[in-house]
Amino acid sequence: MEPGVSIESGSAIRVAVLPVGGPISPARLRDYAALVARHARVDLASLRPYYSEHQKSPFAHQPWGGGCLRLKFVLGGCVPSPWEDFQSSRKVLAVVGICHLPSSPDLGRVAADFVDAARSYPSALASRCFAFCPTDAQLVQKKRDNIIMFPPSDQQSLELHMLTMIQDLSASLLMEFEKWVLRAESTGTILKTPLDSQSSLGSEEVIKAKKRRLGRAQKIIGDYCLLAGSPADANAHYATAIELARLTGDVFWHAGALEGSVCALVVDRMAESDPVLEDEVKFRYYTIIQLYRRATLQDNAQRVSPVSFELEAALKLARYLCRRQCAKEVSDLLMGAADGAKALIDASDRLILYIEIARLFGTLGYKRKAAFFSRQVAQLYLQQDNAYAAMSAMQVLTTTTTAYHVQSRKTSKMDHGLLKLYWLSLFDSGNTDPGKLHPQSVVSLFESQWSTLQMVVLREILMSSIRAADPLSSWSAAARLLRLHSFPLHPSQREIVKRNPNKKEWWTGGGPSGPFIYTPFTKGGTSGTSKQEVNWIVGEPVQVMVELANPCSFDLIVESIYLSVHSGNFDAFPVSVNLPPNTSKLVLLSGIPTQVGQVSIPGCIVHCFGVITEHLFKEVDCLLLGAAQGLVLSDPFRCCGSSKFKSVNFPSISVVPPLPLLVANVVGGDGSILLYEGEIRDVLITLTNAGTVPVEEANVALSGKNQDSVISIAHSTWKSALPIKPGGEVTFAVTLRAWHLSPTDLEADGSRSPANSRRIAREGSNPFLDIHYAGPSGNSESNDVSLPPGRRLVVPLNICVVQGMRLVRARLLSMELPARFTDAHLRSVSSKDNLSNGSDAIRNDISLLKIDPYKGSWDLRLLELELFNPTDVVFDVDVSVHLDGTSVEQKILPEDKTASSACHKTRIDRDYSARVLIPLEHFKLPVLDTSFFVKENGSDEPLGSRAATLAEKNAKAELNASINNLISKIKVKWHSGRNSSGELNIKDAIQTALQASIMDILLPDPLTFSFRHAKDGTTAKTDSSKEPGDGSSRSADESVLRCKDPIFANEMTHMEVQIRNNTKETIQMNLSISCKDVAGENCFDENSATVLWAGVLSDIYLEVQPLQEPGNRLEEQELQGKPSPVSELLKCAGFYALRKLQKVVIEIERNEARLEKIANVARAALTRMNNGETLSQEEMKSYLEEIIRLASI
Amino acid sequence: MASMACFAIVSKNDIPIYEAEVGSAPKKEDLAYQHQFILHAALDVVQDLAWSTNAMFLKSVDRFNDLVVSVYFYLYNNIVFFNLMTHARFMLLHDSRSEDGIKSFFQEVHELYIKIFLNPLYLPGSRITSSHFDTKVRALARRYL
Repeated sequence: MEPGVSIESGSAIRVAVLPVGGPISPARLRDYAALVARHARVDLASLRPYYSEHQKSPFAHQPWGGGCLRLKFVLGGCVPSPWEDFQSSRKVLAVVGICHLPSSPDLGRVAADFVDAARSYPSALASRCFAFCPTDAQLVQKKRDNIIMFPPSDQQSLELHMLTMIQDLSASLLMEFEKWVLRAESTGTILKTPLDSQSSLGSEEVIKAKKRRLGRAQKIIGDYCLLAGSPADANAHYATAIELARLTGDVFWHAGALEGSVCALVVDRMAESDPVLEDEVKFRYYTIIQLYRRATLQDNAQRVSPVSFELEAALKLARYLCRRQCAKEVSDLLMGAADGAKALIDASDRLILYIEIARLFGTLGYKRKAAFFSRQVAQLYLQQDNAYAAMSAMQVLTTTTTAYHVQSRKTSKMDHGLLKLYWLSLFDSGNTDPGKLHPQSVVSLFESQWSTLQMVVLREILMSSIRAADPLSSWSAAARLLRLHSFPLHPSQREIVKRNPNKKEWWTGGGPSGPFIYTPFTKGGTSGTSKQEVNWIVGEPVQVMVELANPCSFDLIVESIYLSVHSGNFDAFPVSVNLPPNTSKLVLLSGIPTQVGQVSIPGCIVHCFGVITEHLFKEVDCLLLGAAQGLVLSDPFRCCGSSKFKSVNFPSISVVPPLPLLVANVVGGDGSILLYEGEIRDVLITLTNAGTVPVEEANVALSGKNQDSVISIAHSTWKSALPIKPGGEVTFAVTLRAWHLSPTDLEADGSRSPANSRRIAREGSNPFLDIHYAGPSGNSESNDVSLPPGRRLVVPLNICVVQGMRLVRARLLSMELPARFTDAHLRSVSSKDNLSNGSDAIRNDISLLKIDPYKGSWDLRLLELELFNPTDVVFDVDVSVHLDGTSVEQKILPEDKTASSACHKTRIDRDYSARVLIPLEHFKLPVLDTSFFVKENGSDEPLGSRAATLAEKNAKAELNASINNLISKIKVKWHSGRNSSGELNIKDAIQTALQASIMDILLPDPLTFSFRHAKDGTTAKTDSSKEPGDGSSRSADESVLRCKDPIFANEMTHMEVQIRNNTKETIQMNLSISCKDVAGENCFDENSATVLWAGVLSDIYLEVQPLQEPGNRLEEQELQGKPSPVSELLKCAGFYALRKLQKVVIEIERNEARLEKIANVARAALTRMNNGETLSQEEMKSYLEEIIRLASI
Repeated sequence: MASMACFAIVSKNDIPIYEAEVGSAPKKEDLAYQHQFILHAALDVVQDLAWSTNAMFLKSVDRFNDLVVSVYFYLYNNIVFFNLMTHARFMLLHDSRSEDGIKSFFQEVHELYIKIFLNPLYLPGSRITSSHFDTKVRALARRYL
């Protein structure tokens, strides 16, 4: 892209102006160039003397009367554009050398130099070298053809001389154009743009190119006609070119020819401007833009993109239309062009585009738009890393200052001058008082302007001027920035805290401790006297509030009023005040302490009515006292409406050396942070040291309400940034979790606006960040003298909690009927205790608990949460259960009642509710402890037993703890929008849901079974080493017998059943083993018995020893390690060739007498085994046969 | 939800009396400034359009890169109001195209603004510092944008 393009630029002859020979100072070069450049337009009529027609001119319609040639001088030349074949005006057609002869004495050298320089412009058709200020010696030298010397003379004759030379140059250019066109018409030329593929063409493309050649040649001839100042000829050629291009589908050249024709049209009728012409231009240019766009789309695949032509065309049209009346059209065009910036690959193209857009907006009167794009330009400049770019950036930014109202004071006054004038005309009172302005203008003065923008612009000017190494402008920018960018500070944010040198954590004692803001005890203790201590800090502005009263009945104009300080270490700032009659006013008088020491402020100095007086505060006291006693006629304050008796104690003010001053702001605005209940979000807080002393130590703590809503503070971030140098910044993250609204909050909200149930948090419920910080701890020599005080900065975290998702209810779903503990069972447990004690109880309360290990007790319960979304946004809910040992988060597919279960998250739309299911699988306690049942079984307990109640209490506590443990593992997380997420508080709801049936969930089944093969009759140590944690949560798959090893027909297979007793009691049970087919049929009753031995092992009575300690897994392992009696027994049973043991049904029965017998046999065997004897297989067989005999009775 | 947006109320004197960065894009200070610059630049176009249309809601009056400026403004041509306050513009920079949401957002903010305006302690044309207003506007932005 090229800067400064317009529709007419197609008719300008580009001339490179180059300095040659010895060095020329920039100012001189500029002078010479200006001398040349003044002749940008050369009338054709004036060329007559230099023009000689060698052949018949191809420009038949050349307007010799009124036409002209346009020259465009490019100082310093330019790199040849790859597109110069496409638009001849891009070619450098002539070269002009400029030489300052005093600095280059050798003319031959100059001539050679110029030839060299001109060589880099092969497209140049003419060249001249102008040499200025020749010395006498050079004048008398032999004349050279190619150096034209301008003898020293006055400016006027120099100009005349130059005009002649330029006319000569133009004439020769014109003749060259004629020659070129004649040659092109006769022989034709080959014209290429980067769009045409550079590589060898296919045959098809060659034909295509041939067809197109004619049209392109016509277009170029048209270009030359235009350059030669003959638009009529150009138009004719362009018309042909357009036709040809359209026929051959040469879109790009079609657009080019059309552009040329518009240029010819405009140049031809330069003088007049009629709406018809304008419409025509507009229409054609929109077509051109369309064509270029098509060309861009066509050639999208190519490396070079002609998109810059499209943008240039848009800019040209915009420039042509650039008037107030067409503002909308122009701004649309320019905005379209700005959108095109993304398509530009070259950064400098983008730069030019933005510059042009900014210029055009400026011409249009859109100052702010112009400023905006100027700023874009400046930013592009700043991306380049050199001083010149920075300087350009600075200059560009400086032009934007008016639009952003950051110019110096004087000019801003001018703006308000207009306003003043308006008011003068309204009130016509001759009142020229600048202070008396309408409230409206007061507001505008007070608020100044868009301060954020001003700040940013000034900061950028400052940055660029620093990079451009321009101290003056950096200083002025910095000064203006300071004026604007004064930190708005609340007194609480600059609070000074005394440092205790003996204490490492000096901040703990200081500051308000406890819940009270003010405690009379601490205050009274230290000072004792009524005199207050006030500390001011060197270099930090302070304000003193003074009340002024005007008891007179006329306006009092105080030209300036400021604090009078005699101690000389204070700079007071004067202000001017206007007091209406009979009013009083509070005025803030400010100043800056300059030196350490005491400051006394006895009063203030007032310039009023041309008189300077010092008003002492003490006198006011006297006056007031006098008024109270009737000695003075009037109390100025009373007559002004404020009747309070004012007596002021003057504090003693001491100035301390500079301290660091931290300023905090929340990134993303200081407004409150809007969070849904339970939402977790990071908030970035930036601390800036606005003081002149580095911050060396700091401490960040929390205070205020809802402190638990702050989950974490990135302490390490700010700690690593210490010490914070003056002007330094550190940004650290604070993670917040919104608290939950209390029911009262919700209620209050509901009553106010039932339709819209959102809640704005009350003020004062926010946590604060207390930041204590201090500078260096004094100089090392006088370390012991005093430690400079530290400071406290309070950053409120304005959290506003709105109601989020609500948990409607939680309930427990049991998928199957679990094995239940009935009262009967419980009683039987206790009665069994009696049994074990030896007492002969009658076990008449027969209750059989039948456990089928494949059914019913797989521990699966589902917790159903019903959630309602009363907000306006969509929530995605995600349930996860964190397991104990593993940190792996187990994602569980929450089922939605509507959505398919394939989606991992449950999406809840606004005003909808959904149910989320949480499987409770892994929460079984390892041991069934009857102590849990104690309280349910209370009727059986002896009353008043202290121990019992204690145990009950313990049990209760244990139960609660386990519930809490369980709940803490379940997390319901939600997401909403792009990055708000949080956690739902479900604790209470789950607790109530689980309270009733916690037993079912927590307690394991009384017995767990597992089966496996035993190898060769020896008890298997094989896979008995299951993970202990898994023992109670074994799922169905695991307990099904898996036959990895084949079972051979007619061979004995050993089986092993492991039964684990999860209770603390000894459970006596009766096992009956039946053999079943795969199909579930009895496989020994029918003829087709597949089992060799058709016996049924049943009614085995045995006792399972309890686990000694609940939860102790070591114990359990031991038990598994050594063969338990039951497994031995069943191993024996395996002898009898249970070919396919599909199911084992175990009955726990305790009341049949015959079982006693069986039990006795078994016990006998067991005691022997337990005593360490190894039973032989024969012995074992005999025992079992005995048992079976007994059982089959 | 729009990934980013910047809302500003611009007073008659082209001074922002309220501005808020709404939306949930990663908050970068520079970006926020850029948003305000775009809004400021759009004032030129808005000023011209204001005289040529009766509509209160002007969608997409200006754009830069992918960001679009929509404006809502109203004129009280009431003689009583004339001296006080005539002309405030709500400007929203956004990248989403949900026109309805933006329109209702503007209307609700307008109601809030009128409440602020009716506050006797509020000096028309001065900065809106009410935190209540701020939270409400942010809540609305969350809801509609």
